[in-house]
Amino acid sequence: MIKQLLKYLVLIHGLLIINVGCTKDVDFGQVNDIVLTPVVESSLIYINEPTSRFLVEGVEVSVIQDFVNINIFQETFTSSYLIKAVLFIETNNTINRAFIVQVDFLDDLEQLQHTFSFSSAASPTNSPIVTEHEEVFENASLERLKNTTKLVFTLKVLPGEPINNSTPGRIILKSKGSFYLNIEN
Amino acid sequence: MKRICLFFMLISVLSWCQNKQILYGFSEIPQSMLLNPGGKVTNKGYFGVPLLSQIHINAGTSGTTMYDLFANDGLDFNLKLEKALYHMQANDFVTINQQLEVFSGGFAYGNRFEKDKYLSFGLYQELDFIAYFPKDYAVLAYEGNQSNINKVFNAGHFNAKAELISVLHVGVNKKVSEQLSVGFRGKLYSSVMDIDATNNTGSFVTVNGTNNFYNHIFNLDLEVKTSGIASLNNNGATSESAIKDLRKRLFLGPNLGLGVDVGFTYQLTKQWMVDGSLQDIGFISHSKDVENYKVSGNYVFEGVNPLFPETGVGQTAEDYWNAIEDEFNELFKVDTTQTAYTTWRPVKLNASLNYAFGKKKYKDCNCLRDESGYQNAVGLQLYGIKRPKQPQMALTAYYFRKVWNGLQTKVTYTIDSFTFYNVGLGISANLGMFNFYIMADNIFQYKNIYDAQSVSLQVGFNVLFKKNED
Repeated sequence: MIKQLLKYLVLIHGLLIINVGCTKDVDFGQVNDIVLTPVVESSLIYINEPTSRFLVEGVEVSVIQDFVNINIFQETFTSSYLIKAVLFIETNNTINRAFIVQVDFLDDLEQLQHTFSFSSAASPTNSPIVTEHEEVFENASLERLKNTTKLVFTLKVLPGEPINNSTPGRIILKSKGSFYLNIEN
Repeated sequence: MKRICLFFMLISVLSWCQNKQILYGFSEIPQSMLLNPGGKVTNKGYFGVPLLSQIHINAGTSGTTMYDLFANDGLDFNLKLEKALYHMQANDFVTINQQLEVFSGGFAYGNRFEKDKYLSFGLYQELDFIAYFPKDYAVLAYEGNQSNINKVFNAGHFNAKAELISVLHVGVNKKVSEQLSVGFRGKLYSSVMDIDATNNTGSFVTVNGTNNFYNHIFNLDLEVKTSGIASLNNNGATSESAIKDLRKRLFLGPNLGLGVDVGFTYQLTKQWMVDGSLQDIGFISHSKDVENYKVSGNYVFEGVNPLFPETGVGQTAEDYWNAIEDEFNELFKVDTTQTAYTTWRPVKLNASLNYAFGKKKYKDCNCLRDESGYQNAVGLQLYGIKRPKQPQMALTAYYFRKVWNGLQTKVTYTIDSFTFYNVGLGISANLGMFNFYIMADNIFQYKNIYDAQSVSLQVGFNVLFKKNED
């Protein structure tokens, strides 16, 4: 009986040893090293209008302006992880008038944080004049971007041949933002 | 976003499954009746040692192992993470299955001459969890959409389910003829907690647009259903009251369900035998303490036109802005509902073909000893479980041997979603009336448990009333 008992004990013991298992060196602390670096790209503003849109009751309007309130840069996620932003604007002008695009970045107190503008030449033959502008926000300019709560867009049509309802052409503006994130502990 | 990503990365390396290939058909262990109610009965009665009669845990991953990621090998963790991310597919999964038998017992009954029926019963607690690797979410979090223009991110990759239940069961096994035994087990499920996120569909894609560079197309239909969780998060709930509440639910909770197991054993010849079973054909109805979270909507965003807003009739520019903001808020708004829902238990299939051989040769005749059985058996077992995306299957070949009277061993070799070289070993020992069993699969992985694709362990103690003690 005792001999039998011993036999069982040895067997069970053996099986338990197999099951206890060994481990090799692992370091779960490595999880703190995780870095995610996605680049999020988004359409922003656009314009696609015929010449007639620059007339109000037959009278030419040379400056068009509006603003957008934005709070995306105030959010903790953006303010902590955004490391670079690139704003890319492309205009396609077929109107025989030059124009200037200006974007102003204002903070809560309506203080100017950043501004840029670029111009597009007139298109006398109504063939497309493509103008590209890239605005990069890094370091100090990125910080100013993060202070921004209001964007003011201004489209100034520069003096030239007067526009009427039959003036051919369009102004097309496309824009996108690339947001570089660096998400880590 | 980072936390969610990390969570899924982590659970994808801590995973469990629920095939009990070693226990299946191991008729010397009473708990094998839970896998096939129509299995062979080899005792005339038993009871499990309360809380110790079956402890089952089972671990594995169909994707990357813990060691692949966390080895202290000086390699850049982010490179390892990247490798794991691109190596794993949306059908890679993690499942956790854990069971603890609270009590169990059984006894043979019938007429005076032949006790050809067997009644078994018990209560066990089960935790079941499965999560698929949300690949497209991980890629989006890792790369963003810039390098993925035109790639359709599948919102259905978020697919997970977790349930904590208790199961009260009674089963009957009947020997219909010398060849055939059939069995049936009725189950009453009591849900302690449930989370169900298995019906998610939708997509997100960035395509080249007409008015602007891109159109961002959102099409989301996501829902997470829960029961038994909202009340625990209530402000009034203390940890003490929560534990009390949970304990109550383990017996007869507010959300109940019904299910059955069926099975049979058929002796083809003296040496050939087939058997099969279906477990957990059943449902749980969740109507109390339900809280569901739903995000759904369609929206195409191409940017905004601040200078010439396309205002509708009577719409001001401000209305235009508000409309865009509302669209986004509506799209990502989480609707909370208390709608009752029903979950289906994961149905499990087991079937096997067995060949017994090698009768024991007696040195001296002991005619009282019931040694009609063969000493060895080999066989093939098929296992399948219905899972939210697709069934998971496993094929096992085994060798069974009675080493001594009262000591049986079984060695298994299993091919499944986790690995092609899973060797398992089980042992059942009787000492007097006392039965002890222990079984583990993937035993060769134990030299480095973190590198195992799956590991499982079952252990239990019973008190048996043997047939040959009649």
